[in-house]
Amino acid sequence: MNRITKFLLVGAVLALAALLAIPAIAQEEGTGGVIIEASFGGDPGSLNPLLISGATDRDLAGFMFPGLLGTDPSTASIVQRSEAAPEFQGGYLVDSWEVNEDGTSITFTMREDYVWSDGVPVTTADVAYAWEAISRATELGLDVQAVFITEFVDSVEIVDDFTFTVNYKQANCQALAYASSLGGPLAPSHALGPVESLNDSTFNLAPSVTGGPFGFGELRAGEQTSLIANTTYPDGDVLPAGYILRNVPDSTVLVEQFLAGETSVINGPAVSRRADLRAYADEGNATVYSYPGNSWDYFAMNFADPNNPQNAFDADGNRIDQGNHPIFGDPRVRRAAALAVDVESIIGAAVFGEGDRMSSFIIPSSWAYANDLPMLPFDAEAGAALLEEAGWVDDDNDPSTPRVAQGAMYAEDGTPLSFTLFTNEGNARREAIATIFQDQLQQIGFQVNFQTIDFNVLLDIMDSQTFDAFILGWRNGYPDDPDVTQILTGAGDVIASGSNNASYYNERFDELNRLANTPSETDGCTVEGRRPYYVEMQEIFQEDLPYVPLFTVAGMYAAQSNVSGFSPYPSQLYWNVNTWAVNTP
Amino acid sequence: MVKYTLRRLLQAIPTFFGITLLTYMLMLAAPGDPVSLLTFGPSTTQAQRDALAAKLGVNDPAVIQYLRWLTGDDWMRRDTDGDGLSDQCIILACDADGDGVNEQPGDRRGIIRGDFGRSFTKPRNVVDMILERVPATFELGFISLAVGVLVGVPIGILAAVRRGSWFDSVTRIGAVVFSSIPIFWLGLILILLFGRVLFPDVSPNPFMMGGQCPPVLVGGCPPIQGRLVYLVLPVFVLASQGVAVFSRYMRASMLDVMQQDYMRTAYSKGLSGRTTWFKHGARNALIPIATFLGPSITGVLGGAVLTETIFSWPGLGRLGFESVVQQDFPVVMAFVIIGSLATILGYLLSDILYALIDPRIRFN
Repeated sequence: MNRITKFLLVGAVLALAALLAIPAIAQEEGTGGVIIEASFGGDPGSLNPLLISGATDRDLAGFMFPGLLGTDPSTASIVQRSEAAPEFQGGYLVDSWEVNEDGTSITFTMREDYVWSDGVPVTTADVAYAWEAISRATELGLDVQAVFITEFVDSVEIVDDFTFTVNYKQANCQALAYASSLGGPLAPSHALGPVESLNDSTFNLAPSVTGGPFGFGELRAGEQTSLIANTTYPDGDVLPAGYILRNVPDSTVLVEQFLAGETSVINGPAVSRRADLRAYADEGNATVYSYPGNSWDYFAMNFADPNNPQNAFDADGNRIDQGNHPIFGDPRVRRAAALAVDVESIIGAAVFGEGDRMSSFIIPSSWAYANDLPMLPFDAEAGAALLEEAGWVDDDNDPSTPRVAQGAMYAEDGTPLSFTLFTNEGNARREAIATIFQDQLQQIGFQVNFQTIDFNVLLDIMDSQTFDAFILGWRNGYPDDPDVTQILTGAGDVIASGSNNASYYNERFDELNRLANTPSETDGCTVEGRRPYYVEMQEIFQEDLPYVPLFTVAGMYAAQSNVSGFSPYPSQLYWNVNTWAVNTP
Repeated sequence: MVKYTLRRLLQAIPTFFGITLLTYMLMLAAPGDPVSLLTFGPSTTQAQRDALAAKLGVNDPAVIQYLRWLTGDDWMRRDTDGDGLSDQCIILACDADGDGVNEQPGDRRGIIRGDFGRSFTKPRNVVDMILERVPATFELGFISLAVGVLVGVPIGILAAVRRGSWFDSVTRIGAVVFSSIPIFWLGLILILLFGRVLFPDVSPNPFMMGGQCPPVLVGGCPPIQGRLVYLVLPVFVLASQGVAVFSRYMRASMLDVMQQDYMRTAYSKGLSGRTTWFKHGARNALIPIATFLGPSITGVLGGAVLTETIFSWPGLGRLGFESVVQQDFPVVMAFVIIGSLATILGYLLSDILYALIDPRIRFN
């Protein structure tokens, strides 16, 4: 045996010995084991409820701190604890509330039995602290995210240790949601120090006092955050010994880790791998739960002149003439585009069938969804006929060249039916949608110059309102509210600021939106009171077509078969996490 | 040598500031706006966007932004009456967002005083974010580099002395293959192979699919000998390219050396082939390797974006990439500083190594 062979052999033996010496994944002691989840959301930026921003922050803070207002996951609506079903009474603080006569203030009563992990009672002092941080955030340069509620909330008055009143600038059906943002979740004021130094508190990434089912364990940057069961949790025993959120930035690896049993649960796996997960579940290895998603994609068309962008209203509230887009200013052209696109085929190609069609701007799972409103049909011939009617003619009978204007409403004769379509780079789903759009619109005589561009650049173009059309999406909040003031009314049509970038304006639509958010017009903001307005708005939307609504991306959760207690609701995976157990096989 | 090193370091100072100025201006010239990115969504008002822009200082002229990053703003906006708001302002306006209320006094000291600022996207100090990623990057980078050199160099020597043999052919093909395979593909294939295909019935799987340490609730990351299994796949992926490159360089260098007169002299003195190759040949053939070992070491500092992403390795590369995408200027600039310093020091190290190894080179 020569020296090289000996060297290789010794090396191989050492490597094998090292592998054998590796301890298996440590399984913590505890009746419910450790829940391990992986996510590509990155490290938490902060675990202080007042400073949380991204989804990772929100999820982790939600485990560690109580919410101010609770949600019934079976109806996805904010509930008074005193009226909630017993299984939905845990983890939040407000027992009941009363709205004043004109709807401009709400008095909340908190439960008196909730304590932080150090035994200090949760009181209105914590709410007062949160309001001080929110209302002084701009002045003090604090990184508080809920600062937007200062546009709507006028003041917060403390009545006693367990009662407080929120005064609003005007009555609005979002009032409860804004109050919820005061403590969504709530932070322990006694552990935070002066508001002025909130940005630099050591609490932010290592909270010493918590109040949810878990307390803070440790944060290993770029790798994982661990939480430990809170033995003093006021709303029952916490079965799991802890929860670990692994940081896995690749969506393929995320699924592979679950399939290999390295993680207990997976949330929102890539649509391209869901069939694998279902097959894995069919073999008895996991439980899969699918639900209608709350993020949706759309094709937006600019109504206004992109060469001379204007706000919808001037400073005095007078309507400004925004001109008309030469192509999409004509409603017949917008309808032709909508008819030419086979959304079902897009769902199949872009999200592997994991989507639900939308008929308008309301997601199908919403209480406001107009069930009787038909989907826009796929009828390319009708679309071509509409283009003819609108003065866009095929003058050379060559399908490879675009139609040209001949008596079109807003375009000079001879103008080609050509526009630029943007979507954000790196989003495979939207790139697939846009490619199909390009192909199908070309079938009826459009010429689509499709460009994928960096999201930052797209935002600039959208904000400046200089585009023809783009494909993008919205993710609705939870609980979902159908309010579209900022995205589809004149109030949101502000250059460089608003989200109604397509400059859609319909006076009746705006009025209905206002009524739907007014307590006095909606029987105190009941579903029954608000729904009729939204149904009519959806009909108007489908007539005007500021967007071609496409589909929601279905949600999915899966848990290994050894996880008990897994019984999610749409967008609510962990509502009962304290009763989960990861059983040793 | 000390004089030479000091002179090179002094010469590097203007280079360093030139790099930071150029990068800062390029970054500002890039399309997009961090405020739009941070406030995208229907719930933010224009006033809140303006306040955020004023807080981040992104609406100031480019030169002022650079100056503030470099020297801080605690001298630009001061609070002399103790009311918590600025009242003595140089260069910067006291009321930057025009809302009638003066801004907070400046509290940044600038990078020349060791303050890298706060991240735009996370409410954290940049230095903390960088420092917590450095150990993982060093660990993966240096082990991969060591494996690359320690395996690649002997392979190169053997391939040269057995030129034309099956060993030479196999290693040549291997080098071409491993330097051509995309890292992300190799990583995913290894994960699939070792994670699920090879050990379907072994629980827990002997090869972990990602991360640097076992998932435990508390206790931190164990010492390296307790988690070697986490290194196997990412080190293989990174080192395979190093092995390919170093082996080909070493082979070429060795072949060149073997044609030299002193090698013929060694043979004619009656020395054995092995002694001649390793004692006389390899030592001289290593000299050119030193020229790119320096930059390779500094390359480790930048992290390996793709490998770190595929294997969920908590290193600097991932952080840097995410920061560029999110236009997190303070973090990006911290990376530029690290990269600039590493490059400057890497080339200096390379020159010093060259002079130390090759007696024909003298410091002047």
